Amino acid sequence: MGNAKNYSNQTTPTWCPGCGDFSVLRSLQAAAAHLDIEPHNLAVVSGIGCSGRISGYLNAYGFHSIHGRALPVAQGIKLVNPELTVVASGGDGDGFAIGTAHTIHAFRRNIDMTYIVMNNQIYGLTKGHTSPLSQTGFVTKSTPHGSIEAPIKPGLLALSAGATFVAQGFSAYQDQLVDIITKAIQHKGFSFVNVFSPCVTFNKTNTYQWFRDHLVNLDDEGNHNTADFQKAMNKYIETDGLFTGILYQNTDPDYYSKLPGERGTPVVQQDLDIRHKFDELMEEFM
Amino acid sequence: MIKQLTLMLGGIQGEGIVSVGDTLIRALSQAGYYAFGYRTFSSRIKGGHTNYVIDISTHKTLSCDDSLDILIAFDQDSIEINLPKLKKGGLLVYDDIVSVKELLASIAPSSYIILPIPFTSIAKQYGNTLMKNTGVVGFLGQLFHMPIESVSRVISKNFNGKGEEIVANNMKVLTACYELPLENNSLSHQYRLSPVQNNQKKASMLGNEAIAFGALMAGCRFMAAYPITPSSEVMEYLTKKFPGFNGVMIQTEDEISAITMTVGAAYGGVRSMTATSGPGLSLMMEGIGLAAMTEIPVVIADIQRGGPSTGLPTKHEQSDIDFLYYGAHGEIPIIILSPYTVEGCFYQTIDAFNLAEQYQCPVMILSDLHLGLSRQTIDPLDSSKIQIDRGKLLNSNEFTESDMPFKRFAFTDDGVSSRIIPGQPFGMHHITGIEHMETGKPFEGNDNRKKMMDKRLKKLQGLKELDHIDLYGQLESDLLILSVGSNFGMIQRVVEGEQLPATYGMFKMIKPMPIKQLEELCAKYNKILVIEGNATGQLAAIIKSEVGFHRKIESLLKYDGTPFKYEEIHNKIKELI
Repeated sequence: MGNAKNYSNQTTPTWCPGCGDFSVLRSLQAAAAHLDIEPHNLAVVSGIGCSGRISGYLNAYGFHSIHGRALPVAQGIKLVNPELTVVASGGDGDGFAIGTAHTIHAFRRNIDMTYIVMNNQIYGLTKGHTSPLSQTGFVTKSTPHGSIEAPIKPGLLALSAGATFVAQGFSAYQDQLVDIITKAIQHKGFSFVNVFSPCVTFNKTNTYQWFRDHLVNLDDEGNHNTADFQKAMNKYIETDGLFTGILYQNTDPDYYSKLPGERGTPVVQQDLDIRHKFDELMEEFM
Repeated sequence: MIKQLTLMLGGIQGEGIVSVGDTLIRALSQAGYYAFGYRTFSSRIKGGHTNYVIDISTHKTLSCDDSLDILIAFDQDSIEINLPKLKKGGLLVYDDIVSVKELLASIAPSSYIILPIPFTSIAKQYGNTLMKNTGVVGFLGQLFHMPIESVSRVISKNFNGKGEEIVANNMKVLTACYELPLENNSLSHQYRLSPVQNNQKKASMLGNEAIAFGALMAGCRFMAAYPITPSSEVMEYLTKKFPGFNGVMIQTEDEISAITMTVGAAYGGVRSMTATSGPGLSLMMEGIGLAAMTEIPVVIADIQRGGPSTGLPTKHEQSDIDFLYYGAHGEIPIIILSPYTVEGCFYQTIDAFNLAEQYQCPVMILSDLHLGLSRQTIDPLDSSKIQIDRGKLLNSNEFTESDMPFKRFAFTDDGVSSRIIPGQPFGMHHITGIEHMETGKPFEGNDNRKKMMDKRLKKLQGLKELDHIDLYGQLESDLLILSVGSNFGMIQRVVEGEQLPATYGMFKMIKPMPIKQLEELCAKYNKILVIEGNATGQLAAIIKSEVGFHRKIESLLKYDGTPFKYEEIHNKIKELI
């Protein structure tokens, strides 16, 4: 097992003191250390917002992309180099507003990578605007009369779209979060981790204390069967999505293993010069 | 015996017109002739009139005549709509199940040679009326005096995967129609094609296939794309071929995903591309900006169609020039290549991948529907011209622990910095769409910002000094015609056909504009005519803004959804010389 510090690049995060994102960063570093992933084999892709900065704080290959597009960028990286550990991360705006289509299709595509949503139910970096995960009635600068829209339920969306690993964590429960991220990375397929990561500056409703009061810990319920799709659905509905732990996991084959053709070496290691095949390829146009 | 003719196949969309046309072009190419096919189709799968015009010649042809020598009609509409285009004395062939009595009643019997052929009945006799398409090819093989082998070879290749019986039945229909006795004796000589001097078998290709094939040969092993007319053939070819070369083609949820996944794969170290048309390109622009800002080499093919919005989704236009030239928010380095032949599509796609890695920026391949979808006979492609240059991409032995930390965006004389891909030990670094310092970390300092902007933009300065306009015609004349894309075929037909005193220059790169060459050309010629397929004269406006010469430059524009006709270019040139 490596040292979590090896995965830090000594950059001081721009996050507010107390931000839940610190814990996500530490948990990701700890999980990487636990799994002994060499820093050069770790690629972390992020979107835009406070959460988006996470890729810049790791001693790894970090790609801070554009709003909502961390998932396609990350999938592109993984598809050409399956030997890398690829983690995409972003905020609730990235994943469930501007990038929702990518999120749903990443669920069903099942490429072997991990997606961590740093969910604070608000747009922090724009200084307090409503998010698609904000509760109905939530008051922000863009919803001064309270949000009149229903929030998206990320876990239900994931399950219905065919996600093969669905989990939730909470920044304050760091040991559990490290464990979840470790298992998510180990999962052979697309793993989705929705982390309740409180915004201490702009979200005065969904605070650390609020989560402590409302979250159910699935690990405390000895009988939760993560392989049972129906029970996972029920559990999500029962808790109204307010739980931590691994909700669901299956062993469906990942995308890469289903690609047609011989897949001995990663795409990136393929010899580019195929001039010896030119005549054969040309024959089809004859 | 004839050296050149234009024929049209007309029928109901979805009933095999395209397959007849493609097969005929392949067969002619196999027999050593040149053919150029232009399809008219609409946004529906079945029904509605469609036609395929094919120019056939003993020498290279890249356009079709405005009027027809032969019209082959599978239905009534095809006669009604297209008969006015048939030359007087031309040949009208129709499937004899089509009722034409009323239609032909108004035509003077001597105007055309009219020939009903029992295509459907013959096909039915051998089991399936669909084989009438094969029959048409057989009949034309006879009419043109092509060796039956060159026709049968293509037919058997077409049906190879469908079982022996289907191949055998098609062969029977082919032979029956090839041997059909022609009552009109003179007919059997009138359309005999002159023998070709070089009867070497030739290939036929679409511009889109040439881009895809070029990409494969250039080492492209990743494509992410969303289907859109008229670009989908690029993804269709690569998705077939990639499994054999350990490549990946992925059909994404939208064009935003297509471009950003392409960016991810290219960052991952693989030559990567996407292809689209106007509406998709609109969605991609932010991702193209990201590639430029993070200096990631991506290749994007834009096969233009009629805009704006959904516009004319199956019709030709060249109206994305401005959008590409000035597109993206902020200011980015971008290269726009503009092939104007199918062979050019192949070679310039290879160039695109090399340029993308040499300059670490997005490279656009600007094509158009008429170039992308017109099947045509091509000259042999030269595989010795396929070279792969990955620019400043560092191997693992070129960067060691003592060199850490890696400065991905190090300031250099030419603005291009060394690149390391994920997975390489000691090369860990950060990249971001935010303005950044040499190490890639976000940094908004004023001096750094200016230096980074200058670094990115100066990468392409050198390209402005090079020649990117190919010149043809009579070089010592008063008139210079400048154009892009598929217009080449018709300009060539007009200028060369009549030996008009004009030079014509085709842009093969429009960004950076070849300023030096353009200035010299604009100074040398008295009149300059810019021919382009849009309403506002986009290319002409860019030329004027880059080099001036406003009073010399005139435009010939077209934006009705069709390529330029002979007459249109001819009349304009005549007016200027």
